[in-house]
Amino acid sequence: MIVRFLAVVAAALVLAGPAAAACAHPRTSLAYLEGQVMCPTCHTTLDQSDSAAAHQIEVFISQKIAACWTAQRIESALVENYGPQILAAPPHKGFDLLAWWLPIAGVLAGALVLAVGVWRWSRRREPEPEAGEESGLDEETERRLDDLLARFD
Amino acid sequence: MTGRLKVTAQLLALAGVAGLLALLVWKLTHQQHAPAVGAAAPVFTLHRLDGAGKVSLASLRGRPVVLNFWASWCEPCKSEAAVLERDWTRYHGRGVVFLGIDYHDLAPDARSFVRHHALTFPMLEDGSGQVTGSYGISQVPETYVLSRQGRVVAHLSGPITDPGFAGRFRSALARAAAA
Repeated sequence: MIVRFLAVVAAALVLAGPAAAACAHPRTSLAYLEGQVMCPTCHTTLDQSDSAAAHQIEVFISQKIAACWTAQRIESALVENYGPQILAAPPHKGFDLLAWWLPIAGVLAGALVLAVGVWRWSRRREPEPEAGEESGLDEETERRLDDLLARFD
Repeated sequence: MTGRLKVTAQLLALAGVAGLLALLVWKLTHQQHAPAVGAAAPVFTLHRLDGAGKVSLASLRGRPVVLNFWASWCEPCKSEAAVLERDWTRYHGRGVVFLGIDYHDLAPDARSFVRHHALTFPMLEDGSGQVTGSYGISQVPETYVLSRQGRVVAHLSGPITDPGFAGRFRSALARAAAA
């Protein structure tokens, strides 16, 4: 009985460490942030860079992930240190919103131009002659054509 | 009506192309280059790394200035640090000002670097790289020696411990201090 109790206490102590280190929110990853943060000296994202400056930021990010910082908090700390250009994507506010909305506006404008063009093109086409309408042949030719076709019936 | 629409669309397309062309020209004409020897050094105001206020280059007019661009992740900067500190202690009594400018670096790491190498000359932080950009810095360490008039006396793209640079740095420093 005592042995069993000691085993439970030991297991609890072993599990207590990782439980205390667990975050209150899903932990972000270095791989994710490496794609979101720029290397300041080589102007590529961290995952594309092997420079010393990029390595320094990766170490910083790893330390902050271990300390349960969220991705947003890590990015804010990096922006405070390096300025907004450290982020691969511009922020969703102020003048930077243009970078997000202009491409969408461009695609929509292109689609609109295309739609108007197609509509106008389809209206400009000559309508197909309907059955019973003038074929454009004179009476004699039409009669001969009918005779020829009648032979094949 | 359709003719008017067509002309408007063509004008819009033309304006778009002109805008893109203007952006290209602006980008090409606003590329930053290192100031040449004899040219005026770009002025700046930067925060001190230890948080004790700001330093403005313009306020140092009348004194020779050594600008050393460095980073804590830069290996050659480590070997250069002791030499810079030695020269600072030798020359600052003669009115020469040494300024270290931290380049694309994490401030806590930079402060550790300063403590570790026992550097006593003023250190400034340029986290965003705006000032280093205006000096055309593409790698560290790089050092500028400026005259009392704020003009570039020497620009050394590499550690001043480099055999090719050590002599040039000393002679530029002596010239700037004597002028």
